[in-house]
Amino acid sequence: MPAETPVIEMRHVDKHYGALHVLQDINLSVDKGEVVVLIGPSGSGKSTLCRTINRLETIDSGEILIEGEPLPQEGKELAKMRAEIGMVFQSFNLFAHKTILDNVTLGPREVLKTPKDVAEQEAMRLLARVGVEAQAHKVPAQLSGGQQQRVAIARSLAMHPKAMLFDEPTSALDPEMINEVLEVMVELAREGMTMVVVTHEMNFARRVSNRVIFMADGQIVEEGTPDEFFDHPKSLRAKDFLDSIRGH
Amino acid sequence: MGYSELFATYGEKYLQAIFETLSMTAVCFAIAMVLSVLITVMRVSPIKPLRIVGDLYVQVFRNIPGVALLIIVAYALPYLKIMLPWKACVEVAVVLLASAFGSENFMTGINAIGVGQIEAARSIGLTFTQTMTKIVIPQALRSAVLPMTNLLIATMLTTALGSQVPLNPQELTGLVSFITTRETAIGILPFTVSAVAYAGFSVLLGLAGNAIDKRVRVIR
Ligand SMILES: Nc1ncnc2c1ncn2[C@@H]1O[C@H](COP(=O)(O)OP(=O)(O)OP(=O)(O)O)[C@@H](O)[C@H]1O
Ligand SMILES: [Mg+2]
Repeated sequence: MPAETPVIEMRHVDKHYGALHVLQDINLSVDKGEVVVLIGPSGSGKSTLCRTINRLETIDSGEILIEGEPLPQEGKELAKMRAEIGMVFQSFNLFAHKTILDNVTLGPREVLKTPKDVAEQEAMRLLARVGVEAQAHKVPAQLSGGQQQRVAIARSLAMHPKAMLFDEPTSALDPEMINEVLEVMVELAREGMTMVVVTHEMNFARRVSNRVIFMADGQIVEEGTPDEFFDHPKSLRAKDFLDSIRGH
Repeated sequence: MGYSELFATYGEKYLQAIFETLSMTAVCFAIAMVLSVLITVMRVSPIKPLRIVGDLYVQVFRNIPGVALLIIVAYALPYLKIMLPWKACVEVAVVLLASAFGSENFMTGINAIGVGQIEAARSIGLTFTQTMTKIVIPQALRSAVLPMTNLLIATMLTTALGSQVPLNPQELTGLVSFITTRETAIGILPFTVSAVAYAGFSVLLGLAGNAIDKRVRVIR
């Protein structure tokens, strides 16, 4: 048992979309500095799970705790909690009418009330860290997908999140851009960021994740270290799934 | 009677009419824009009764002919002890119509933004109000420039409802009725003057709208 409170903890979480039982008794705990990879067939509920953690989706029953505190229901408290959990989406979702710099400074200025010059200095540092500082004064549509996704990561980092959620951050990218984004994520993981990553990038999972969680039909079917899971999957469903993504 | 005689007799009235049409247009459009934003915020708010009221407002006022609205405001409201001056009646009818269409323009702009940016805004901790004022409304405003230019032109043309009630001074269409009842043999002449004025201002507004759109359009 870890001595510290987990950063993210889900207890007996259930969720339905009408008749579809999309999350079934999910129990998951992510410790500080841990990198957890969520993997599973399409429709298994990976995105939904991720999105319940910062309450972009509500749950029917169970509990979600962030550093031991239950997720607030609504309003300012919820907004404050969301600010502490970064989220990176498959489709980047940068603010189309704002420059790259303004995309990164918006959260700090509006939510953390950071003064403009301080927010901009830090944003430039973050943009440099993800390698897009030269694009600071362009708008999102002028950047490649890989660049946009790195800006999206910088935008999340600007809020000094306690944990970051990534929902298939590379699956909308052209193959030659996948690595530039993965490299940023690897570095984040090495620096100790707590991360939940939905991805089918096995190399990434092997290089940086502490745990791989395999989901199917709304349930956590098995979990283990990446080497255990990828080399010796226990369940038939996981074996079938790994065969299918390896193209057997 | 030719144009020179027409202008000699009614030139000053035409200038007044142009001023009336333009000033009613400006007042109505400004109020309609504020109302459109409010109604649109209601229609996308997380509070269901507000959404219902907003949707209802648009459905009702978008689907009633302007003249019918004017008749209701001018001749039915007095039964409820609401007596407005004639000009205000016209303006209320125009504002109700224009704000319903204006809200539809904003909704189109909001739908173009997509849920992704809104979720991103929420996930960095922006509240509903901040998401609206920082992300949704600015983009909806920018992408609404062209449709709103059309609405501004339509608003100007709709102020011709003023010809249906006794205004003093009259707007461009009311003035045409006034002249034709007094100069029985004059034919289409007075109308062509108003038509040229309407068309001229429409073209100018259209050009201005295009220029603004070019500057503020959100590249996607
Ligand atoms: N808003 C919604 N309303 C109804 N059903 C939904 C909704 N969102 C997702 N679903 C359904 O819930 C199930 C789980 O969806 P989810 O997006 O979490 O799967 P996923 O594992 O992320 O899949 P993918 O790999 O395709 O992204 C799917 O069957 C999906 O169709
Ligand atoms: Mg998904």
